[in-house]
Parts: sequence; structure tokens; C-alpha cells
Amino acid sequence: MAGSPSPSRPLSPHLQIWRFTVTMAASITHRATGVANFAGVVLLAAWMFAVAQGPGFFYPIGEILTSTLGGVILAGFVWSLCFHLLNGLRYLYWDSGRGFAPKWARATGWAVYAGSVLLTALVLFAGYAARGGL
Amino acid sequence: MAKKHTSTFVLQRASAVVLIPLTIWFLISLVAHAGDSFVDMQAWLSRPTTSLPFAALIVIGAYHGRIGLEEVIVDYIHSWLKTVLILLSWLAALAVMAIAVWSVYQLSFAG
Repeated sequence: MAGSPSPSRPLSPHLQIWRFTVTMAASITHRATGVANFAGVVLLAAWMFAVAQGPGFFYPIGEILTSTLGGVILAGFVWSLCFHLLNGLRYLYWDSGRGFAPKWARATGWAVYAGSVLLTALVLFAGYAARGGL
Repeated sequence: MAKKHTSTFVLQRASAVVLIPLTIWFLISLVAHAGDSFVDMQAWLSRPTTSLPFAALIVIGAYHGRIGLEEVIVDYIHSWLKTVLILLSWLAALAVMAIAVWSVYQLSFAG
């Protein structure tokens, strides 16, 4: 199976022929958020290392974190984590052999999108409230 | 090969299950320490009850994430680049794990 497929071999139906389904979108988003979460974990390790080095080392990182760009990155990471967490629970449920009925799979797909947005809003709102506003 | 892939499948799920409480704990901590000064934050993170689960989140997260990265790589890359990228995913994951473990040592256990 190694190597690239020869040009004469028919390719499987490509992206443009697929009808949009939320299950497909959730699958793509799960991958994208998974890759983003890996990047987030790299940043978390950098953050932890910086805290361990002391205030002088941490200072520029604290400046980035409290900037607009830092806020956008943090908010994006929170949403990415929330989506991957909720959709991951959905996949673990699937692994148990349940939840595959198309109607139910679609309903839980929409629920994951809605739930991830709500959970992110909750975390960000509570976080900014704890910080004493924006 | 079959056995290897079966165990990767199981380890991906097992790490996912462990990451559920760690992620929820991380999100709650984010809210709880949003307004902390550096001194407060460092004091909080230096407690072993914080630094150890934090490092666990990073180490297990990097492990779980690397399995996912390899899945994505083998799905889209079919040339020699595939091997290089998989190697890089290992290097990145191991570097992240080492940084987390070293940071825990510095924060909570060094002198």
C-alpha cells in the first residue's frame, strides 16, 4: 500500500460531491481542533516553563497574554478544547456501540457545536468577571 | 502490525478518558486564577497538587495529540515527507513532555 496511487487508478469521490452533514462537519472540526489543541499544549508547556523561571522571564509572556492577540488566542484555545472535549465524549459514546442512528448522530453533532459555544462563553465570561472586567 | 494498531487505538481512548477530568480542571483553574498577580499565580502553580496535574495535562495531552497528528499525517501525506513529519511529531511531543517535567521539578521540588 506504500507510495502514491497511480494516476490511472480511479480516485474516491472527492469533496465537492458530498452533501453537507453536521456529522461530517463535526468530524473535520474534531481534527482541526485536535491539531489546534496540540499547539495549545505546546503553549501551555511554554507558559509553565516561563512561570518556573520567575517574574523577569515571565514578564513579556504576561504582556502577550493580557494583549488583544493573547485574548484571541486564549479564547480560541478555550473553544477548541471545549469542542474537542464534547465531541470526544460523543465519539467515546460511539465507541460503546451506541448513538449511530442518523437522527441521533445529527442531533448530538448539533448539540456539540451549541454546547462548545455555550461552554466557551461561560468560561470566558466567568474568567473576565473574575479578572474584574475586560 | 495488527496488534500495534489495536493498542494505539486503545491508548488513544485511554488517554482521552484521562484527559476529560484534567481538561475540566484546567478550564475551572483558568477562571479561578484569571485575575492573579504573578506572585499569586506562581505560588498556586508551585504547589504539587497543582503542578503535578498540570504536567499530567501537558504530558498526556501531548501523547494523545501526537497519536492524532500521526493519524492526520498518514491520511494526507503519502510521500517520504510522511516519515519526516511523524518523526517531528515525536520530537515535538517528547520536547513538550520534557519541558513540563522539568518545570514541575523547578516549581515544586527544587531546593
